[in-house]
Amino acid sequence: MLIVENLTKIYPDGTKALDNVSFTVEDGEFLIVIGLSGSGKSTLLRCINRLVDPTAGRIVWNGKDVTAAAGQELRLIRREIGMIFQHFNLVRRLSVEKNVLTGRLGYTKPSLALFGRFPPETRDLARQAMARVGIAELAQKRADELSGGQQQRVGIARALMQEPNMILADEPVSALDPVLAHNILQHLERLNQEGMTILCSLHYLDLVQRYASRVIGLREGRVVYRGTREEIRRMTDEEFQNIYGEEAVRIETGRSISGG
Amino acid sequence: MARRTVTQKERTLRTVSPVVAGVLSLIPGLGQIVIGVWERGLIFLGSMASLVGLIIWRVSVIAYRQATWAERIPVAFRRQPLLYVLVIAIIGLWALIILDAVNTARRKKTRETLAYIIIGLVFFLLGWQIVEIDMVKLFTELPDAFPIITKIAWPWPSAFVRDEEIYQGMELLYTDCEDKVIPDPLPVIDGQPYLEVSPRCGVLSGYEVEGTMLTVEGHGFRPGQEVVMWWADPVGKEFRVRYGGEFITVTPDANGDFSAAFPMPNLLIPPSAGEGPHEHKLLARQTTSVGGLKPSEGLLLAIEKMVETIFLGMMATLFGIVFAIPVSFLAAHNLMAGSPLTLAIYYITRFVLNIIRSIEPIIWAIVATLWVGLGPFAGVIALLVHSIAALGKLYSEAIESIDPGPIEAVHATGANWIQTIVYAVVPQVIPPFVSFTIYRWDINVRMSTIIGAVGGGGIGFLLMQWIRLTDYRSAGIAVWFIAITVAILDFVSAKIRERYV
Repeated sequence: MLIVENLTKIYPDGTKALDNVSFTVEDGEFLIVIGLSGSGKSTLLRCINRLVDPTAGRIVWNGKDVTAAAGQELRLIRREIGMIFQHFNLVRRLSVEKNVLTGRLGYTKPSLALFGRFPPETRDLARQAMARVGIAELAQKRADELSGGQQQRVGIARALMQEPNMILADEPVSALDPVLAHNILQHLERLNQEGMTILCSLHYLDLVQRYASRVIGLREGRVVYRGTREEIRRMTDEEFQNIYGEEAVRIETGRSISGG
Repeated sequence: MARRTVTQKERTLRTVSPVVAGVLSLIPGLGQIVIGVWERGLIFLGSMASLVGLIIWRVSVIAYRQATWAERIPVAFRRQPLLYVLVIAIIGLWALIILDAVNTARRKKTRETLAYIIIGLVFFLLGWQIVEIDMVKLFTELPDAFPIITKIAWPWPSAFVRDEEIYQGMELLYTDCEDKVIPDPLPVIDGQPYLEVSPRCGVLSGYEVEGTMLTVEGHGFRPGQEVVMWWADPVGKEFRVRYGGEFITVTPDANGDFSAAFPMPNLLIPPSAGEGPHEHKLLARQTTSVGGLKPSEGLLLAIEKMVETIFLGMMATLFGIVFAIPVSFLAAHNLMAGSPLTLAIYYITRFVLNIIRSIEPIIWAIVATLWVGLGPFAGVIALLVHSIAALGKLYSEAIESIDPGPIEAVHATGANWIQTIVYAVVPQVIPPFVSFTIYRWDINVRMSTIIGAVGGGGIGFLLMQWIRLTDYRSAGIAVWFIAITVAILDFVSAKIRERYV
């Protein structure tokens, strides 16, 4: 269970990215965070695994205080939480297999990993992870030779290597076309059905309606909407505009494009 | 664009009477500054002040012998008529600046562009004068330079030589020998060429004084083959005898006989040689090349030193990499921005690297030769110091330009700091590192030819020596080797960089 209490993040330049955000995620949920670009979605996800240090508030993950953790303790928390990114964040020059293997670094003896070597059981694990997302035959290709959808599947395989209990997905499909977007989200949905907690930020409302078990909406760093899957399907224009403001018209266009 | 600038400036303009503005601009630009177009005013003021200052300096340089300005000015203008043009241009410019001030005050269109063009032109002319460009010299001096340039451009005739067989006849001659007994002529040996010289005692040529005229008869030489006259002084130094600026050569007739007449040559007998008689040798030589071509001493030396140069560059680069990599991490902003302490280290590292880099390798070479003495080791140190600074900066910029995404991703997996470096930073920086390193090796080999000139070893040392000894053919060989090596390196480094990027 993930508990976020009164989370606030103010960047050194004075930007208030998160303002007193509180919510709880039960195990096995598929929670989707919606909101405009700059509404604080990415910062929220990055606070949860402390890629960004929050200014105030508390995050508790399975009884462990993430906000207070440091050093080895923090690294152990991080390796239980997988993360995938909008721009995949693969090491472009390395092979797919190497990229997937980096997901296991939190478990590997540092001295061994220094020279790019991993134990055979880790390599087996990597083969399984790649097979699960259907990229086993691409193992020896360089990451930058792959298409966007394939790269994001490498990203998922890398996250799977951590054997995580939760996956944070920061706009995982924004750089992909609608068909690939569904493909990636179906992979996440399958993991969710196997019991994984998923925390995902998304732009397109119809994808939200299709995959979310619960939704929170952020606007200027504050939670302005909370809803279940049923509620988001019945979302009114007022609620929609409350989240997206004047930009609502543009989102409508996006909605029709990705509707296919 | 121009019109918009004018309207923007008009808003801030102060109202000044045109007459006052013109009078103020007798000090160039002051009128404009008072009106409010202070950038233009400052440019005018600065340009005029520096132009006048530069002209005064040039006059004092050109007429440096004259004591007072009243004497200097006419002399300088007579020697360098270009100064008239400069002075007229500056007076015109002054007038233009005053006019500009008046027009600006009257809110009329100004001719500032023309003023800027004239300023540019005057600086150009001054530059021409200061760096002493002399197009005439370029052509009048060419005939003298041409033989040397030819030797450097095509040195290969002296790259390979043949052994020489010398066939010679000799006679001993004496100076400072008045009233003294001199030895008999050398005995004639059968089958050997010999000389008959008279007189055998004489006086050497001096400054505008011709020495004793010698009559030389040769016998037993090879018919038809050219004979060159050589002279060996009392300490044994040999040189070819000249008369009227020409080397003395004769060709024996069908019997192998010849005769020639020339005065004793001009040479110095040091006081330490003591009392006469001093013994000289006159040698008549027929030289024949024998055997196959073999590389000349110059060619072998050039090859040897070229190899030394390449290794010098290589060693400097290798050590450069070793030191530059850790330094580059300290000089990368994205890795060091974390805390005030690391940021301070970053700024200090950057500062030191910039200082070192701004000092040329040739200066470091001079310092290094003072430290470890002449030779290639000093060269390695000089290039190493500069390489560390240059590579450190290039590497750190490569690190700064990497994609932060993978670092974030590897961090998120629970990897520690060193794992993040190995898996997210290193793979990204390898291509630029390889590329910069090879480029640096290229530079180091080129530089090592220069630092050799101040004693840093390598082919540059040899090149400077040959130029000073006016051995232009050997110098040409060195130049060719440098050019070929640099071209090959350039090609190879381009190929390797292509593969890695």
